[in-house]
Amino acid sequence: MQFSVANLLVLVPLLPLLGAVCTVLLGRRLGPRAHLPAVAGIGAAAVVALLLLLVTANQVGGRHADPTHPVESVEMISTLWQWATVVDARSGDLPAAEAGVPMAPGTAVSGGTFSVPIALRLDPLTATLLMVITGVGLLVAIYSIGYMHDDPGSPRFFALVAMFVFSMSMLVAASNFLLVYVFWEAVGACSYLLIGFWYTKPEAARAAKKAFLVNRVGDFGLAIAVFLLWMTYGTLNFHDTHLADGTFVEGILGQTRIADEAGYVAGAVGTAICLLMLLAACGKSAQMPLHVWLPDAMEGPTPASALIHAATMVTAGIYLITRSAPLFMGCPGALTMVSIVGATTALVAALIATVQNDLKRVLAYSTISQLGYMFVALGTGTMLGFTAAIFHLVTHAFFKALLFLGAGSVMHAMGGVIDMRRFGGLRHVMPITAGTFLVGAFALAGVPPFAGFFSKDEILASLHAKAHPEAHGSDHAAAGSAGERPRDLAGGAGLVANVPVRPFRPGSMITRVSLSDAHDVSPEAHGVSPEKVGLDALDHPSTWRLLFWMSLLTAGLTAFYTFRAVFMTFTGPVRIPKEAGHHAHESPPAMTNPLLILAALSAFSGLVLFVTNALSNFLAATPSLTAPAVARTAVPHVFHWDIAIQGTLAAAIGIAVAAIGHLGRRSDSPQMERYLGPLGALFANKFYLDQIYAALIVKPLEALAMVTAFFDRAIVDGTVDAIGQVPLAWGSAIRRMQSGLVQRYALAGVVGVLAIVLALAWQLRP
Amino acid sequence: MNPFSPANHLILVILTPLVGALAAWLLGSRGVSAVRQSAAVTTLITLTGAVLLILRALPAVSAGHAFAVSEGPWLVDGPFDIRFSLGLDGLSIWLFGLSALLSVTAVMVSWEAIKEKPVGFYALLLILESAMLGVFAARDVMLFYVFFEFTLVPLFFLIGIWGHDDRRRAAVKFFIYTLAGSVLAFLGLLTIVLWNASHTGTLSFDIAKLTAGLAAHPLPMDARGGWLQWWVFLALFAGFAVKVPIVPFHTWLPLAHVEAPTGASVDLAGVLLKIGIYGFLRFSLPMLPEATAAAAPWILGLGVIGILYGALVALAQSDLKRLIAYSSVSHMGYCVMGIAALEPVAVEGATLQLINHGLSAAGLFALVGMIYERYHTRSIANLGGIAARAPWLAFMFLLFTFSSIGLPGLNGFVGEFMVLLGSFQRAWSGVAFEWRSSYLTMAVASVVGVVLGAWYMLWAVERVFFGASRQPPADHGHAPPSSADHGASGDDSHGHGGHGDGGHDHGPAAAEPTDDLRWYEWAALAPLALFVLWIGLFPATFLAPSAAAVRTAMAPGAAAFAARMGAVHGSPLPQTAQADAATTLPGAAIVPSDPPLTAGFERIP
Repeated sequence: MQFSVANLLVLVPLLPLLGAVCTVLLGRRLGPRAHLPAVAGIGAAAVVALLLLLVTANQVGGRHADPTHPVESVEMISTLWQWATVVDARSGDLPAAEAGVPMAPGTAVSGGTFSVPIALRLDPLTATLLMVITGVGLLVAIYSIGYMHDDPGSPRFFALVAMFVFSMSMLVAASNFLLVYVFWEAVGACSYLLIGFWYTKPEAARAAKKAFLVNRVGDFGLAIAVFLLWMTYGTLNFHDTHLADGTFVEGILGQTRIADEAGYVAGAVGTAICLLMLLAACGKSAQMPLHVWLPDAMEGPTPASALIHAATMVTAGIYLITRSAPLFMGCPGALTMVSIVGATTALVAALIATVQNDLKRVLAYSTISQLGYMFVALGTGTMLGFTAAIFHLVTHAFFKALLFLGAGSVMHAMGGVIDMRRFGGLRHVMPITAGTFLVGAFALAGVPPFAGFFSKDEILASLHAKAHPEAHGSDHAAAGSAGERPRDLAGGAGLVANVPVRPFRPGSMITRVSLSDAHDVSPEAHGVSPEKVGLDALDHPSTWRLLFWMSLLTAGLTAFYTFRAVFMTFTGPVRIPKEAGHHAHESPPAMTNPLLILAALSAFSGLVLFVTNALSNFLAATPSLTAPAVARTAVPHVFHWDIAIQGTLAAAIGIAVAAIGHLGRRSDSPQMERYLGPLGALFANKFYLDQIYAALIVKPLEALAMVTAFFDRAIVDGTVDAIGQVPLAWGSAIRRMQSGLVQRYALAGVVGVLAIVLALAWQLRP
Repeated sequence: MNPFSPANHLILVILTPLVGALAAWLLGSRGVSAVRQSAAVTTLITLTGAVLLILRALPAVSAGHAFAVSEGPWLVDGPFDIRFSLGLDGLSIWLFGLSALLSVTAVMVSWEAIKEKPVGFYALLLILESAMLGVFAARDVMLFYVFFEFTLVPLFFLIGIWGHDDRRRAAVKFFIYTLAGSVLAFLGLLTIVLWNASHTGTLSFDIAKLTAGLAAHPLPMDARGGWLQWWVFLALFAGFAVKVPIVPFHTWLPLAHVEAPTGASVDLAGVLLKIGIYGFLRFSLPMLPEATAAAAPWILGLGVIGILYGALVALAQSDLKRLIAYSSVSHMGYCVMGIAALEPVAVEGATLQLINHGLSAAGLFALVGMIYERYHTRSIANLGGIAARAPWLAFMFLLFTFSSIGLPGLNGFVGEFMVLLGSFQRAWSGVAFEWRSSYLTMAVASVVGVVLGAWYMLWAVERVFFGASRQPPADHGHAPPSSADHGASGDDSHGHGGHGDGGHDHGPAAAEPTDDLRWYEWAALAPLALFVLWIGLFPATFLAPSAAAVRTAMAPGAAAFAARMGAVHGSPLPQTAQADAATTLPGAAIVPSDPPLTAGFERIP
């Protein structure tokens, strides 16, 4: 392997992995310095990630001034080893000669070699996320030195955190879907082990199991999506590859296919792939209906919650959809579903958060809600939407990590108590925590000029553009709409009875139809009306208008519950629970310094990134976002005054209501939800979703398991035993032959068999 | 004659355990420790020999040849041509190695567990090892059958004498059930031999010759030929399905496992179940391709049913060992499914999955045995919080659990993924239109098994290892775990406990890990864990050597399937198209003999 910048990429996951391995091997011998290998590993990885970010930014260069100019994509691939290779993995297929599908010239069919390289990629999206993962990871690791310092399990904790940083970096750096799936589950396993870190607590063990299982449902979707991708595209690689035998394979997200206007399947198969990916994203990113694991995951140590369940792992779904943007662009229905799921989740989670009394749970629901925001932006399918989602991902990582670590600091000082009704007025006790928490709250609530304001503004702007295409110029009109997408020709055909079945080979799925071509390849295409049908019909301005208003309402609710938490925790008379003992003081510098750094980032990163527009320009060079369908939706970078005012107004109202209800009052005084009536109970019980799942899925399955087990015992095994009785019945007649010795039965069997052999041999003698 | 020739090497490896059994018998008067030490040394020598042999064999085996072939006349008289013929090829090489590896584990897990009649126990364990090695090395039908039956006898006694309360019934049921199946299978194999003899004139029992012979003169698959191929296939199926076991022929398995001593469970789950799938690959697929192809959808269906059924029954178990036994039923379903999919990816995945399941199931059964040694119960309800008392034991259990539920990066994922991928591929593009939706349904249903598998395993882990530590019921002479204080501290309900005060903590380090793994338990588990990681990270190491042999074995079946079921709606495929389908298969190119695949449909006896 030659040295290159791309190969430096290996170091980002490798160094934390080494840290984890060292921690495990040295174990208790490290004593109170158990954090050293992990912190050093993650720190070094952060330095490399910064270097890679600069290198990538340098490659992207100054090509951004003109949005109409096509952006060149930047990617670097580093292949480590071949994981598994099955040459010509298909059999039983129809002879190639029969394949009557017109194959466009230049189509590369791999011959179905199942070849999975362990390959990493570096591009703007990956570089950005690596920086966030290692940066926040480093701050959280440093914070944990203080937080975990007298927990006897701390070597295990640091090993797991380093292991998580490894897995997460691999997830965003992997250059094929199989590796994405691998690390998709690996981060889930790290999350499982960290949620269950205090495994002697039954709630923690249960929450860990719940998280893993709910995620498995999402993984189920991803697995099937990966199978469908393999069968549709004949490869799982993102990048274009040259196999050992010289065959060229067009990567699913490779330069060749992305540049091709009609390189992706649409229709039934395309939509199925996208919806399955959405299911996977819902699992990992805690979107409805699979969000139920995240609030329970708060049983884990708070730094782990900050890193995994707020800043990084839960954004994997956003990463997956952004990475797969070209696939989604062909399926406007699936894209709209992304937004609908996101907006619904954002609103529902925000409503639940308004009545929670556990500080960490407020933040957990807030995370679910903010992730929903990112989904809404992704679903717009515009350049603005994708970059806004990642922008929000970055700022959210900063301010949500800050808020979680702040909550951890409070919990640390309160002796493990996190119920906001049991303490209050803590700004007098822990001023740094209170101040930084306030900064985080401003950022989350979207108050200008804090970070969250700008990223939320971009999200609302991208929605507004979809809701009012006429107001945003012609560029928007085309965004992700039917006119530019490849039609479904072969895609769903195989599943519909009346359509002639086409023999299928990897790669042949893609019937290349470009409507811009003068001659249409396929005659069927003419009959297709431009009316959107099925799921695609959802992609309508009125839908987007509804989503916009839902998001704006969510913004107001966000400001309300955030400041409700701030006021309950930090204002009012000083009250400290008895569990706190003599710990009720500001946290040590190892914990407050990361808070200060994150507070600075939460305060200024949004402004800087928005004014310079650096992040959006940078991300636009990601191969997935250079797909023509995405690239043509790019619009000039402007500040949307109208939307900014609406957003700020919503935040102001939310904060004002929270202030009326909670500012300066005792946090255990009667709550505002008493005005909500039955709705309050609905929100407090999380819309009863846990109960509904228990009644509809868990209990029936357990009952089915009991029935099956009974069936197994009574019917299946009973039949076997009954058959076993038949020889016994005979035996009572000819008892003397039965000695009861199994060896003798065996002998009899063999003798009998030999007799048959001899008889047959005699019959067939030559 | 070169004493270190590959053929002699192989024979030595197979004979070593028998010598060890003799040594154990001679050392019997010196007490338990001498016997178990001699058994451990024997299995280690055998393992070393097997590893060296595998290293020698890899180049030839990777190229698709058999290695270390020896042929001694055994019963060569008149029409009979039965030979003592041994050798390794891509199908058997890893199973051979697995047998040698798990025998070490089996001895190590019995180290403290077996105190009564140690001579008999270890001697039988070593005889069993010899038989297992022999089954996979046999190249002669008669020899295969002899070794096959020979695995039953030691296991029968191991379960019947050293088992738990209901050992007699378990042993008899296991023995009779398997014997009934295997006698039918033997009749099927004999019919194959006789059919071949009717064309060649000699009663050859050589597997390679039979495969070639049946390719040239397939058993009739129509009414005029009496559907003979069907009947032979069903007879073989009876034997192998019981062995795998395929639902609904599985009920002997949980009983046998629950009653068996740990060492026997390790061998039973790790190796003996594999013989069933191995038999399909060795005999049914290459010798009876048309019948296999015709039965493939139904077998695939049984595999999927097995996956879901095994998982559901496992979910309802209260006995940890029984739960893992049912998980075996579920996981073997993936192997069945992979074979029946008749896609290269799936079949290669299934052969790898045999090894994977061998490692993870053996590891889990070994760990259940270790838990039983400590707490004298396997009831999930009576166990709890073991992680605090035996952190490494918990770690290992978690590792094998993750391996078993197919966590990527570990071995179980690779096989499972390849099987599922191949099944989807078959469903998507490899079957006739009218079969497509049922194939797709089966493929999707099997993925549901992945979710269920995680459910019951993690449920068990949660109950047994996590939560407040429980005082196990009456503990004979074992160091009482220092867990009382832990149980008490379980109620400080919230998260991080804060500093000092000496009051509470949540970590495992505070508890004395008195119950943790001992050296012989490490010796049992660590090699398995090593392979769990190795196969997970570098599966190509293990896939590549088997690939050629797997292709050769499945090629006739896949071609027959393509001709039968892969056809375009309505029209049976003409002869030429079938030839095309056959020659596009890489396996067809590897078959060295005369082109057999398209010939011989017209032959009627």
